[in-house]
Amino acid sequence: MAQSDADFLPRTYRVRHTTRYTYDEDVVGCYERGFLSLRPTPTQTLRAIEVTVSPEPDVNAAHWDFFGNESFYVEVRTPHTTFEATMDAEVAVDWAPVDVAALDRLTVAESVAAIRAEDVDPVLETAYRLPSALVELGPRVAEFADTILAPERALGEALTDLYRTIYRDFAYRKGATSVRTTLPEILDLRAGVCQDFAHLAIGALRSVGLPARYVSGYIETAPPPGKAKLAGSDATHAWVSVRVPGGGWVDLDPTNDHFADSRYIVTAWGRDFRDVSPLKGVIFTEAKHSTLDVAVDVTRLEAPTRDA
Amino acid sequence: MTAHAVEGDGPLLDGPLLDGPLLDDSASAGGAFIGAEFVGAVVGSPGVAAAIDALGLAGLLAARSEARRLVEDDGITYGVGARARTWTIDPLPLVIGTDEWARLEAGLRQRALVLDLVLTDLYGERRLLRERLLPPELVLGHPGFLPQVDGIRLPGDRQLIQVATDLVRDDTGAWTAVADRTQVPSGSGYAMANRRITSRVMAGLHRRTPLARLRGFFDTMRTTLLSIAPEDLDLPRVALLSPGAESETAFEIAFLSTLLGFPVVESEDLTTRGGRIHIRSADKTEPIDVLLRRVDAAYSDPLDLRPDSRLGATGLIEASRRGRISVANPLGAGVLESPALLAHLPQLTRQLLGEDALLPSAPTWWGGEPQGQAYLLNNLDRLVLKGFSREIRPEATFGWELSAAAKADLAAAIAARPWEWTGQEPMPGSTAPVVTAAGLQPRRVVLRTFAVAHDSSYVILPGGLARVAARPDQHLIANATGALTKDVWVLAPAGTGVERITLDQRPQATPLRLAPAVAPRVADNLFWVGRYAERADGLARLLRVGDDLVEDFGARPGTPGHATMQAVITALAALTRTPSIEADPVVGLRGLTLDADRTGTLAYAVTRLIGATYQVRDQLSQDIWIVLGRLERALREIPRDEAQLQPQLARILESLLAIAGILAESMVRDATWGFLDGGIRLERAMNTAALLRHTVIAQRAPVVDGQVAESALLASESILTHRRRTVAGLGPAAPVSSALTLLLTDETNPRSVAYQLRRLADAMDLVGDPTAAATARALLADVTRVDAEGAASGDRTEFATFLDTLDLALRDLGAHIERVHFARKATQHSLPIGWSLTTEGAGRGAE
Repeated sequence: MAQSDADFLPRTYRVRHTTRYTYDEDVVGCYERGFLSLRPTPTQTLRAIEVTVSPEPDVNAAHWDFFGNESFYVEVRTPHTTFEATMDAEVAVDWAPVDVAALDRLTVAESVAAIRAEDVDPVLETAYRLPSALVELGPRVAEFADTILAPERALGEALTDLYRTIYRDFAYRKGATSVRTTLPEILDLRAGVCQDFAHLAIGALRSVGLPARYVSGYIETAPPPGKAKLAGSDATHAWVSVRVPGGGWVDLDPTNDHFADSRYIVTAWGRDFRDVSPLKGVIFTEAKHSTLDVAVDVTRLEAPTRDA
Repeated sequence: MTAHAVEGDGPLLDGPLLDGPLLDDSASAGGAFIGAEFVGAVVGSPGVAAAIDALGLAGLLAARSEARRLVEDDGITYGVGARARTWTIDPLPLVIGTDEWARLEAGLRQRALVLDLVLTDLYGERRLLRERLLPPELVLGHPGFLPQVDGIRLPGDRQLIQVATDLVRDDTGAWTAVADRTQVPSGSGYAMANRRITSRVMAGLHRRTPLARLRGFFDTMRTTLLSIAPEDLDLPRVALLSPGAESETAFEIAFLSTLLGFPVVESEDLTTRGGRIHIRSADKTEPIDVLLRRVDAAYSDPLDLRPDSRLGATGLIEASRRGRISVANPLGAGVLESPALLAHLPQLTRQLLGEDALLPSAPTWWGGEPQGQAYLLNNLDRLVLKGFSREIRPEATFGWELSAAAKADLAAAIAARPWEWTGQEPMPGSTAPVVTAAGLQPRRVVLRTFAVAHDSSYVILPGGLARVAARPDQHLIANATGALTKDVWVLAPAGTGVERITLDQRPQATPLRLAPAVAPRVADNLFWVGRYAERADGLARLLRVGDDLVEDFGARPGTPGHATMQAVITALAALTRTPSIEADPVVGLRGLTLDADRTGTLAYAVTRLIGATYQVRDQLSQDIWIVLGRLERALREIPRDEAQLQPQLARILESLLAIAGILAESMVRDATWGFLDGGIRLERAMNTAALLRHTVIAQRAPVVDGQVAESALLASESILTHRRRTVAGLGPAAPVSSALTLLLTDETNPRSVAYQLRRLADAMDLVGDPTAAATARALLADVTRVDAEGAASGDRTEFATFLDTLDLALRDLGAHIERVHFARKATQHSLPIGWSLTTEGAGRGAE
């Protein structure tokens, strides 16, 4: 997915995300944990949001979690064969291009030291530096990080090389991996999906001591040239946010070979996929089969402008 | 009946508890029986020592075997099934003097307070981490820290409700903490069980020694659990969440339940409604306000924690967050178990309380801190290496036991993942004497103490659980490796008599709830306890009659007695669905009695009875274990081929009678009883009807007819009534009519079908099932209309048809009870969190 200057212009999106489960027999109890909103961040402002769940939930509650995301609890006890949750949100997005030259003023090693010295948020930065359930740190990951994030390398150059290397050396292949695939396995497979690439990049960053978090969200896609965009054809997406000296974070997307731009809409972030899985649940049923349909539409509401 | 996995229980009592090399001086005293001086030095009280010395080795060995027998009688186990370990109690208590205990108690109270303040901070402000008073890595990298529970608070002053601490003596003899248990602190119930047994086997000594009592601690625990209920409720509902009857500490969970007066619940019993956890049952669903958790946090909520867990309550974290339930210990308390925290406790005590730590902790280094890593690597051969968490590495490694190669491997492992390791200085001299056939021998000992929150402070159990290594050279003291246990005697201060915690020893004036909801799992098992107990009883009686007949007439074909024998054998074959016994009754009856692997046998019924009893051990009187133990032993003895079955059947019946008595005399007549008695009555009604169907109903020669009827009366414990009535000219004279009257229609005979139906109807009223009660009453009306008098003379096919119809109706009623009251929860599934579910990453397809 190419990136141009225009992609950094501010714009407003409507995001519709529908998750629908259908079962061959009644579900008598359904308990869901999910991130059904968009996180307020420096790059986006939520203008409007509506979350609808059907059947009518017995409980629909939200709280702010440890990582600062709005976490939803949904309980449906009406027996049902179809469960549907829809988020319909309007969000203004504005990402500035990453100043790579500024990042290059410090090496990777100097950056690690600077971030430790700044000690802005000892709790979360530590959480984002430690290994986590899906980001095991070990010799294989360290070896992968060694050359790309070499201590003497300039930080901006190293970060650029990180997303480039993954983009170049790893094939995007659905079904090649699962939620249990480990980083060494991804390194062997040389393939995966956006979640895998994000985890691998996070592993590399953490293994040199840089706090890195997993970002879950959406991205606007363009239809193939000459084709109309199909309804529901957009997608959830995952990328990486890394702490850089000066207190800021830089978002990079190894799946698409660039830093994040104004097409990136954030749902939630955490240590890895486990912390921010869009919708997970426990159901009680004797059903043998279930199908899942997910439809995502990311639609631009107004033309991007800088001076609007 | 459920067969849960027990992952959630973890090796609760199996922490790597240890100390250093054994002291030589005590070892030298190990051989011969010892003088008072040695005992005094070791067990802590010259008075106690003298008394022990007076018992002599013979007395102590007798006490040891008596303790063994009592453990078996009380059904005390650690682990069940293939992993069951005998609970072994050494009769010599570990004695702690008044002053020594006062110091220890103050130290433990202070330690619990510090741990509480740390816990409160970690899920609240996190000032300790932000100001780096604790390394954030130490907390955030520990599997016990659960970001999911951030911000949840229990009402009341303390968040840490219970803590257990493992202690050994340092080289000055002072108690030193080596580990804390905050996830699911277990052992206080075992401590109480040990006290009960030790006080019996050392009765004289126990009577003479002024001892702090344990009971008050459990009253405090009860008060505290009630006090943390989320709302200001008159009668908060408290329950113990158990991982299941297969849990290692199932005995303790049931025992605690009876000590505290709160029911045991399992995942299967729970349902979540409106963001609140409820006990499910057929007629009502009751919310739970407080949950005493015996399931590890990771398994406690499949929604927010391990999705594969079948041991938890879905939405428990959300319910806690919403303030609808209080969980003790709160989810997330396991982080305090990190050995790495030990190193920081002295400094945290100063920072949080402005005091010096009264109780020392074993010096501990954590590899996650740079100095710690270096220390571990430089002192590898003298340290005790433990994992950063028990989840990562449950076993301890003793540096001095390692070969050079193993040491090099360990050093490499530490260098690669230093944060996963902690090292503890070994504690040199902590031993206690143990009774062995060769005299007293010193063994390494670990003391586990227990604290429970009370208002703003903590109450310490004045005693504890002492665990002693199984072998003299053993460092690892864990129940899983066969450790012995000891009662811990804390001497009461002079002049205080036996009362120590006077305030909390008052019985709590909390009224008991009437008729609590009975969960389907509990109802199901109680019902089957009743059915199997009754099945075993009825079968044992019929076997006794059959065996007698085989003995007398087996070799006399052609006699009326032999024909009677054949009729009873046929009845037995039909009732137990074992037609093969007719070919060789002698072998057949032995098999029907002893073969536990075949359905329909007496041994099988007893096995199932014991199995069902285990599932609901908290519901039944503890006395039942003595009898079940005896019953099991009676069935284990396989008599020689030529030996008679009668003595064994008599012993089995004796135990079954005792069980019936315990059940009848120890249970309140509520729904719980309704299910149990309903099971007994349904079973007896079915078996009696079947017995009649296969004996009395078949028309035979008059002389045989009478004997068969008398056999049925004999097997149904009604022969005396029959004879008395016949002699007095009351009731029908013909045995067949008499049998039908006494066993079918006579409501005053507790063995009749009519009587069972009346009791069954009452039981169904108790469980709140008017439909089943009405069905039972309608059947009763049918039964009482039967003309038993006419049976002797007339055609009996009508009776046969009636009994067949009755049998079907009873089966339907049983099926109705199962369907309505024992309904399993719908199967739990996790909506997959795999990303096969989310539509895939945007990007490449759209490039």
